[in-house]
Amino acid sequence: MRTERRAAGYTLLEMVFALAIFGLICTVLFVLTAEMRFAEKHLPINMHKNPQVIAVLARLRRDVLDAASRQPYEKTYGVYTSSDKVLIVETMMASGGQQTVIWDFRTPGEVRRRAYNVGVVADDWVTRGLPVDFSNLEIDAVRTGTASAWATRITAKDENGRIAIDTILQPRATE
Amino acid sequence: MRYQRGLSLVELLVAFMILTLVITISLTAFVERNRRLQQASETILAYQALANEAEYRRRMTFASLETQPVEFVSDVAILEPLKPFNTIVAVQEVQPGVKNVLMTIRWKEGQRQAKLELLRADTGGSNLW
Repeated sequence: MRTERRAAGYTLLEMVFALAIFGLICTVLFVLTAEMRFAEKHLPINMHKNPQVIAVLARLRRDVLDAASRQPYEKTYGVYTSSDKVLIVETMMASGGQQTVIWDFRTPGEVRRRAYNVGVVADDWVTRGLPVDFSNLEIDAVRTGTASAWATRITAKDENGRIAIDTILQPRATE
Repeated sequence: MRYQRGLSLVELLVAFMILTLVITISLTAFVERNRRLQQASETILAYQALANEAEYRRRMTFASLETQPVEFVSDVAILEPLKPFNTIVAVQEVQPGVKNVLMTIRWKEGQRQAKLELLRADTGGSNLW
């Protein structure tokens, strides 16, 4: 006896249904990820998520806010020359004395803070593992008021040139 | 005789529906997480701009606070990703010798905003506090 075997594929209607559902899934995916793609395109990298960045900014803030005079920034100190990657600032210590602090951002992925007390290294702090984009950091001087001392402005851009950090630090001690 | 049949349309549809449901739920959770991260990033940008503006407003003379620009005087380039946005500064004398400087940034057509208040006291000398 011969068995008749029917080997049929999907009908057109079945295919249409399947494709309609697939299309629905694609639409849902597209709609739900639209906002995400927009944010990725427009927003800079959030460098403040990195604990090292927070630590650097916190220490730097304290040094500048506790600056020792109205003009606390030195142009040169030892082998260091101030630039958009190097900040030299005279700051107050907890004991009431002064020290010269050098912030060195020249090495990508690394920040060094070196404090000198009467020419002798009193503290040497290095942090590594910073975001690569953080190396685009720039130090600038701004005036926030006609009678105020120069403030330090820290800006850092991500790889797409979007500003991720823009912080003005104004010396407080002599105000 | 052994009868071998494939999946019926109903079975296929049910399978697709379950798959869609699972994908939608997991994707919604993922997108919600990203939305919150995006909001956090926006807020960080806004508060940096607010803190910078506060540095300028601290140093304006106490008497002239009301006559200063009602928009931010500091550089707001960091707010570029939030465009269109607007900045507002409102000054109110809460008691004699004390003024409240309220700085606000609004974006996403006013749906989102960040505020920072600065209390200024007439010290007679320094403009700092």
